Amino acid sequence: MNVLEVKNLTKRFNGITAVDKASFSVTEGSVFGLIGRNGAGKTTTIRMMLNIYFPDEGEVLFKGSKIEQDFKDTVGYLPEERGLYKKMKVIDMLLFLAELKGKKGSDVNKSALQYLERFDLADRKNSKVEDLSKGNQQKIQFISTVLHDPDFLIFDEPFSGLDPINTNLLKEIILEMKSKGKVVIFSTHLMEFAEKMCDSIAMIDKGKIILNGKLSEIKEKYASKNVSLNYQGNISFLNSHPMIESIEDYGNTTGIKLKNENSDQELLKLLMANNISIKKFNVDEISLHEIFVLLAGKEAANV
Amino acid sequence: MFNKRTLAIIKRELKMKLFSKSFILMTLLVPLFMIGIFSVQYFVQSLSGEQRSDLIVISDSDEILNKVQNEIFQTGPFKSGDLTTRFEKIELANFKSKLNEFKPDILEQRITGVIFIPSTLLQSKGVEYYSSNPNNSSLFYKIKPSINKALVEIYFAGKLLTEEEIKFARKDVEINGFRVSSDEKVAEEGYGNRIAMVLFSFLLYMALIFSGSMTMNAVVEEKSNKIVEVLLSSASSTELMAGKILGTVIVEVIQMAIWLSPIVLLISTSWFLIPAEFMPQMSFGFILYFLFNYAIALITYVALYATVGAIFDNPQDAQSGVWPLLMLIMIPFFIALGMEANAQSSLAQIASLFPFSSLIVMPARMILVEVPLWQILLSCAINIVVLLGIFKLAGKIYRIGILLTGKKPKWSEVFGWLKMSA
Repeated sequence: MNVLEVKNLTKRFNGITAVDKASFSVTEGSVFGLIGRNGAGKTTTIRMMLNIYFPDEGEVLFKGSKIEQDFKDTVGYLPEERGLYKKMKVIDMLLFLAELKGKKGSDVNKSALQYLERFDLADRKNSKVEDLSKGNQQKIQFISTVLHDPDFLIFDEPFSGLDPINTNLLKEIILEMKSKGKVVIFSTHLMEFAEKMCDSIAMIDKGKIILNGKLSEIKEKYASKNVSLNYQGNISFLNSHPMIESIEDYGNTTGIKLKNENSDQELLKLLMANNISIKKFNVDEISLHEIFVLLAGKEAANV
Repeated sequence: MFNKRTLAIIKRELKMKLFSKSFILMTLLVPLFMIGIFSVQYFVQSLSGEQRSDLIVISDSDEILNKVQNEIFQTGPFKSGDLTTRFEKIELANFKSKLNEFKPDILEQRITGVIFIPSTLLQSKGVEYYSSNPNNSSLFYKIKPSINKALVEIYFAGKLLTEEEIKFARKDVEINGFRVSSDEKVAEEGYGNRIAMVLFSFLLYMALIFSGSMTMNAVVEEKSNKIVEVLLSSASSTELMAGKILGTVIVEVIQMAIWLSPIVLLISTSWFLIPAEFMPQMSFGFILYFLFNYAIALITYVALYATVGAIFDNPQDAQSGVWPLLMLIMIPFFIALGMEANAQSSLAQIASLFPFSSLIVMPARMILVEVPLWQILLSCAINIVVLLGIFKLAGKIYRIGILLTGKKPKWSEVFGWLKMSA
């Protein structure tokens, strides 16, 4: 069931359209990825989903009705540019942010202490935020995102600027939330993360949604007749071969689209016969990155 | 707008500010600072009177010279050596060339100035003073009575008047101010209310600028350290702004009440012995009005300052954006100070009703004169309407500005925001 529906969202800034009629939906209990390059419109879309920006056109529906404050109360948001009140004590900071979500009292207090314990920060609860290391400040930020026990988690570029320990910690949190049946929405330009963690995705480029749906279905659709190849040698002889539809160089892999579904073995033989040294030959396999390049064009290859 | 989130933000502001070192420090330091400023002014004033003056008195008449000399020799400054004089008799026609002789001495300040009393101007008491600093009122204060006395005596000599009659003629008019107010009590007015007016206006002026820029910096900081986006995912920008402003207002009104408490004690008890002429005539009701007006002024100006803070993402840019607000506070402040001369002038009346300026001018005017109740109520009503309007506009600019970073926006862009849906 769709819990969150984004319909025709449009946002312009000074005549520039940052988000252009974006539509997609998020199903209950899923991990959803909003994927695109920097500046594609991910943050603006997320801000509209949180009612931080009002859309110029379109709407965001939460269980069928327009989002209001009650939706905000059920969201835990981790913005790309993270920040805390530097002069506040750690525990006060956490309780203040929870109180803004309408949660206060001994339960939240207890839960905050448990999280601090779990993240090895229990002894720092009375320290000022500014006295913590950057990594520890990030941990405080994670705790503040989940402390009020939200139903939705929205992470904007969650892995940017994290050290490896915190990256793992955050992955752990995302998976834990997923296992609790919560909806996790995150935006990222890192395709491999999205590929590993998402159930569904929406791909956004220049403000427009260029692809959206279940990751498994998308891959199935784009993978048929596709061979993903890693090789050494010269394959230029394939360019004019009658069984090849197109060849795309994605940098570390090459995607070969065949005209006919059953000609993959023929292609393999042909490559062997031409003394190409094959490192990888994957039939009906395509990475999210390859799909993105396919859709967004060659200039997107460096994402 | 007022709900649990606004309340949570207000609570945080109070917690962070009311118990902070800077609050305690400010509460103690501002009164000391005020006392400091007033004593420096007093000190400077008394210093200027003590300066040595060397004068040359010139006339074409021996009689004038002798009489003036007699009178000046009797004055305190002459006896104490602060004033030295030389007397020279010169024909009227030669005065110009004589003055030229003195010119280098005057310019190099070897002599303070030349006083020229021609006998032809005796009837109009016209006296000329030549100096590099011809508006030296503290010097005039010292010598004017002596010259006047001498001239009066010469004029009436041989007119068969009694000593008493001459004394009367010599005397200046003395005006004593009595305040007429509706409570049927006619009280003689001292300096008390004028001092209180300057004090209250100054306090208002300083407190507004100070709390305004504090809030502005806090908003810039929230914006630059990115906490604001986290806050906006929970609360709306209006709630955020309202909470922030109301928190500041509560803290500042408490601080002002602390500052005013000595004055409340002064007017309601006899614990302090203050000369009657310095005792301000002020009611407890006025103090309450002052605090109420202060709260409105704070909301108005702090909202504007917070908005400026939201437009810019670093303190330097914000400082440059703040000058229109400074004008809105400084101009009324100077109008208020200027009212010392006449608190019922049409400028004073208009300024005490006009939006923004009335917040500072009205309390000052109320200290000096009794303002009709309808004017007070009208100014309050105007201020509240303006405040609501400001809150709406400021909220809109705040909402858009608060998440924009990077390039410093132009004013035309900021006005454009008012038309945007956010």
